[in-house]
Amino acid sequence: MLIYILRRTGAALATLAAASVVIFIFIHLIPGDPIYVMLGDEATPEQVEALRTRLGLDRSLPVQYFYWVGNVLQGDLGTSIFFQEPVTRIILDGAETSLLLATVTMVWIVLLGVPVGVLAATRHGTWIDQGLSGVAMLLASIPTFWVGLYLILIFAATLGWLPSSGYPSVFEEGGISNLRYLLLPSLTLAAPNAALILRLTRASMLDVAKEDYVRTARSKGIRPRRVVTRHILRNALLAVVSAFGFTFAALISEAVVTETVFALPGIGRMVVQSILRRDYPVIQGVILVIVCLYLVINLLVDISYRFLDPRVELE
Amino acid sequence: MRRKLGNLIRGSVLALTATMTVNAASAETLRYATIGEPPSLDLQMGTATLATTIGQHMFEMLYAFDSTFEPQPFLATGETISDDGLTITIGLREGVKFHNGQEMTADDVVASLKRWGEYGARGKLLVDDVASIEATGPYEVTIKLNQPNGAWKSMLAFPNGGPVIYPADIVTAAGGEPIAPENYIGTGPFKFNEWRNNRHVELVKFDDYTGLDTPANGYSGARVAELDAIRFIPVPDVGTRVSGVQAGDYDYAEFISGDLYGILKDDPALKIHLSGAPIFGLVFMNSKNGPLADNFPLRRAVLAALNMEEALRVSVGEEALWSANGSFFPEGNIWYTDAGTEAYSQGDPAKAKEMAEAAGYDGTPIKLLVSTNYKTHFDQATVFTRQLADAGINIEMVVVDWATLLKKRAQPDQWDMFVTHHGNIPDPVLLTALNNNYPGWWATEEKAVLDKKFTGTSDLDVRREAWAGLQALIYEQVPTMKVGDVYSYDIASPKLEGMGETTLIWPHFWGVSK
Repeated sequence: MLIYILRRTGAALATLAAASVVIFIFIHLIPGDPIYVMLGDEATPEQVEALRTRLGLDRSLPVQYFYWVGNVLQGDLGTSIFFQEPVTRIILDGAETSLLLATVTMVWIVLLGVPVGVLAATRHGTWIDQGLSGVAMLLASIPTFWVGLYLILIFAATLGWLPSSGYPSVFEEGGISNLRYLLLPSLTLAAPNAALILRLTRASMLDVAKEDYVRTARSKGIRPRRVVTRHILRNALLAVVSAFGFTFAALISEAVVTETVFALPGIGRMVVQSILRRDYPVIQGVILVIVCLYLVINLLVDISYRFLDPRVELE
Repeated sequence: MRRKLGNLIRGSVLALTATMTVNAASAETLRYATIGEPPSLDLQMGTATLATTIGQHMFEMLYAFDSTFEPQPFLATGETISDDGLTITIGLREGVKFHNGQEMTADDVVASLKRWGEYGARGKLLVDDVASIEATGPYEVTIKLNQPNGAWKSMLAFPNGGPVIYPADIVTAAGGEPIAPENYIGTGPFKFNEWRNNRHVELVKFDDYTGLDTPANGYSGARVAELDAIRFIPVPDVGTRVSGVQAGDYDYAEFISGDLYGILKDDPALKIHLSGAPIFGLVFMNSKNGPLADNFPLRRAVLAALNMEEALRVSVGEEALWSANGSFFPEGNIWYTDAGTEAYSQGDPAKAKEMAEAAGYDGTPIKLLVSTNYKTHFDQATVFTRQLADAGINIEMVVVDWATLLKKRAQPDQWDMFVTHHGNIPDPVLLTALNNNYPGWWATEEKAVLDKKFTGTSDLDVRREAWAGLQALIYEQVPTMKVGDVYSYDIASPKLEGMGETTLIWPHFWGVSK
């Protein structure tokens, strides 16, 4: 087990190194220039050159890359060109919102996606199954910005039950009750993802239900409910759990639209704004952190297989 | 155990104090939904609108515009000008306190003006005519000019990239770098409190504010802080800004899109604040390179083909929000003139075709650089491309994002025309088209002659006449084409009191309560 983890970590580090080169090259390949964005309409060529030198953007790309990697290895992700603040701090600022939003959303996905998926599978072919699958298809297809704006319109602007946007930290005034700010965004973000998990759970349950051992279990006279929970669900969950891992990572990076609609100070919005501003250090830092997140989650998912299915050998 | 107990008590007391302070503040905190995160609030260094909107509450200037855009003494008490117009002596108000408790003196003003002249976003416009800036008394500053400069007072009243007054030690330490947020020290009715990335910028009332007691008029006169705090919160989605005001989460939201105007104008849950100062679209032509570089007849052919009304209707929509005005200043403004505007918005493809042929146009594609970040730019460019095609002029649209456009337009071989917009300005000297270094690089001899006449005097009549000449020349040599005036609008909670019906340029919240 330990050797497996070490080997996987080594592979992850190699992936990370490769990713760092790709991230750096791609970001610098985008045309556009942070200097003009910062200085505005009427900057003189002298002002442009002075700022370029100050920010170190006049050096060649390989030199800039090695400076960056050197600093990253010392735990320094650089300084934002736009904010003039350490990128690490900017990421930490956004991380609370993004991680909490993803967690609350995951709770919705698990609570809604899995049981409803099981229900649809056990009622396979009936109108309940068809109805649920239809709703899932609908939720997966509606654009999130539309769902988000309508939720705001109904629950904030019309009924006044929930705040329309923003998110004051749970560490601030209001404390844990500030989580109510994440209710509408997490539902918005959960809708399409819960629908996917629902469909996945249903499909994988139906697959497993065709297996010989399920038939054997049934013919042994085991109660149907027990067949579903012990024999079908446990095996069907294998595919679903790996989807959980990726869904969680995706919730961090794909929450851009939701964060924009609900004006949440998360990482996704930060990175998109930074791309528009060509704030290279922030983009690089955020993407690097997201790559790390994917690698860690990937590893955790693989390890969790071992616990769900004792037959899986961690080689 | 004892230490734990101590920590617990300390923690509770802190939490209690925090709750109390916040409760006291939130009662009168104005929540302003902005279109995005502002760049540095060092107003001398940048020209971003949002930075000015926020910063004007903290930083003040020697002069301030009244509602007719005439500069009135603000931190200054007034000025005397020598007969030759070359020596300007400005008196300063006594007892004006900075947010750090220091009193403002002539040294602070001199240091601020000098730093702006050297590094400021618009400093070059004045400093080239300035021989010296000196403190000639504790409350007196003397500016000596090489040649008369008619725009000096407007420049000292325009906060957007302008010479706001900071304490001498802070500007001296900052030099060419933007001032860091912890050093945002001004003399305004609100002072800087905190900046949390992506969350908010918060200003709080400055209790020792020493303002004027003349009635408020435009940006001049008394600036009384009735609110305890103002929070500027980035809410990038316009739908959310609107719902947020309707739900009472925000008191004010800026830059609402034109297509919502029809729905919102009758909504009792909010009030519309039209901008009193239009922004206008501009299409610049390249004077350095390409088929348009020195072919003025071809440029006039392009102009003749364009129907600006059509472009405005498509790009803005709601008729109340635009005006097809060819003059660079709206009617009623002291700089308004119709010189040259008969060439504006002709929309005559047949005439344009003839003119283009006469100008020797051979169908070479003309590269039109436009960004998708501003929908109006892109819509206008699309309409123009169609209109020019009808006149046989071949446009090749180069569509990029704004950051790329800014970089490309600095390279003369990358474009022939580009679409941008221009904010409202108090004096034609601030027009980008008049700046020889601005992309487009319009610097003809005819322009230089008129420019000299325009900037070389303080006599308003002479300057207005020269400006009329310059506007006529713009329609003759076509360095840029004005699309038309667009009035942006904001929305506010009806609970806000003291807001005028319209905003002058940047909305301000002194004299406002909720």
